[in-house]
Amino acid sequence: MIRLENVSFSYRGQGPSVQNVSFHAEKGEFIAILGANGAGKTTTVRLIDGLIKPDSGKVLIHGADTAESSVSERARRVGFLFQNPDRQICRNTVREEILFGLRSVRGDEKEEALQARTDEILKDFSFTGDEEPFSLSRGQRQRVALASILAVEPEILILDEPTTGLDYLECCHIMDRIRRMNEEQQVTVVMVCHDMEVVLDYAKRALVMAGGRLLADGGVREIFRDAALMEAASILPPQMIGLSLRLGKGFEQCDSTDTIVQTVLDARRGGAKHE
Amino acid sequence: MNNLFGYVPGNSVIHRLNPVTKIFLTIAVCVAAFISDNLAYLAGLLAVDLLIGFAAGVPGKTLTIFRGLLKIALFLFALQILMIRRGTPVFWIITDEGLLTAVRVVLRLVIVCMPLALVLAVTRISDLTNSFVQVLHVPYQYAFTLSTAIRFIPQFLEEMNGIMEAQTARGVAFDKARGLKKFSMILPLCAPLLISSVRRTDQTAAAAELRGFRLRTRQSAYKRYPFTALDLAAAVFSAALIAGALLI
Repeated sequence: MIRLENVSFSYRGQGPSVQNVSFHAEKGEFIAILGANGAGKTTTVRLIDGLIKPDSGKVLIHGADTAESSVSERARRVGFLFQNPDRQICRNTVREEILFGLRSVRGDEKEEALQARTDEILKDFSFTGDEEPFSLSRGQRQRVALASILAVEPEILILDEPTTGLDYLECCHIMDRIRRMNEEQQVTVVMVCHDMEVVLDYAKRALVMAGGRLLADGGVREIFRDAALMEAASILPPQMIGLSLRLGKGFEQCDSTDTIVQTVLDARRGGAKHE
Repeated sequence: MNNLFGYVPGNSVIHRLNPVTKIFLTIAVCVAAFISDNLAYLAGLLAVDLLIGFAAGVPGKTLTIFRGLLKIALFLFALQILMIRRGTPVFWIITDEGLLTAVRVVLRLVIVCMPLALVLAVTRISDLTNSFVQVLHVPYQYAFTLSTAIRFIPQFLEEMNGIMEAQTARGVAFDKARGLKKFSMILPLCAPLLISSVRRTDQTAAAAELRGFRLRTRQSAYKRYPFTALDLAAAVFSAALIAGALLI
């Protein structure tokens, strides 16, 4: 579905931002790209959507080279949620905002169908449609931006730090909706995220980047348990994984408070029986 | 584009001039361009603009500004020759007077705009503000407003590019549209740009207040901006440009 083949890219007048990156993603995967600031994460997702073209190598979406087609044409199949929702929102009401996105990529469909889809997505996101997007809170604006992208029903969803500046509840609202779309409609999700707790809770696969290079590609839990890799990428693993690593033998499979407590209780019960 | 109005560090003759002198030199070039009707003199002023840019060690930026202005100038040129009907017809509805006026207008546009952009390339915004306050006794609030407006230009451009990129990713065909169609697509995006600009202005105002904005006076800055022999030479050159425009 998404394939990067030896992709390199440099911004004008700067050193390489992405160097020789290769990976592929299948339908329905939920991938998080991890790394410190300047690691090349955002550049990689911008390359995937074709917002920038690689200096060398290829980016293929559904087998088609992004260098040979336009971003606006690809928008029907690839949705991109930016960190700042205010760059996406440009209409006076939530209804108009969702319709604007739909008309841009599904303009060939009947107006009634677009209106019906808008009603559906408004209900799904609990909006009346008359809200003024710029008067809403940051989290609500991010939900408006997400709603207008999901209305189009993309096959691939790219998220560039979607939870930045959101409180825990807003973060959960956004991420739960994305997970539902990933699980129910098999939408491929590629997410850049600095919140490792969010990555652990939602992503299944992680790509670790540092200095524009891809350091590792694997399951989220395996990646977080690799202390040397975490240090090389300047990433602090989620608190519970860090704790389980410090607890050592017997706690290797623990990644939450519940599993750690359960393991301790099991160990105590086992110890009591032994006595 | 974002770097077009940015400061380029350097130690050239132009960099070393007092910021106030640079502004006066810029004004002198503009005044001379509007006084003179002589095409050769106007062409000379354009050469002066280019020479200033080269002397400042920013030839690349000078030529980029020049090329950018030429595009606007060509549009203006076409508009002038089609609108002015006075004089003897030369070709179709184009008259000799229309041609002469069009060339003058275009030359003046380029001559006036180039030094304004070059001043920002060779002067730190903070130096421009401080010298206005210290040397010209402009109240700090006004100087700050001016410098903030200039500083916001690249930020607005960056914001606009970000908005266009986000909209392209949603399927708005900015990457395929050209000319007037692209312009008509940009117009609705002015709303988010305006809203983000007002938000940014509010934040900047609050940050300035928190840092004692109203306490600042002429004495607050430690850096001084004395006039040197170089500034005197630039002042003489500025006066000569205006005198030349009056005499030729």
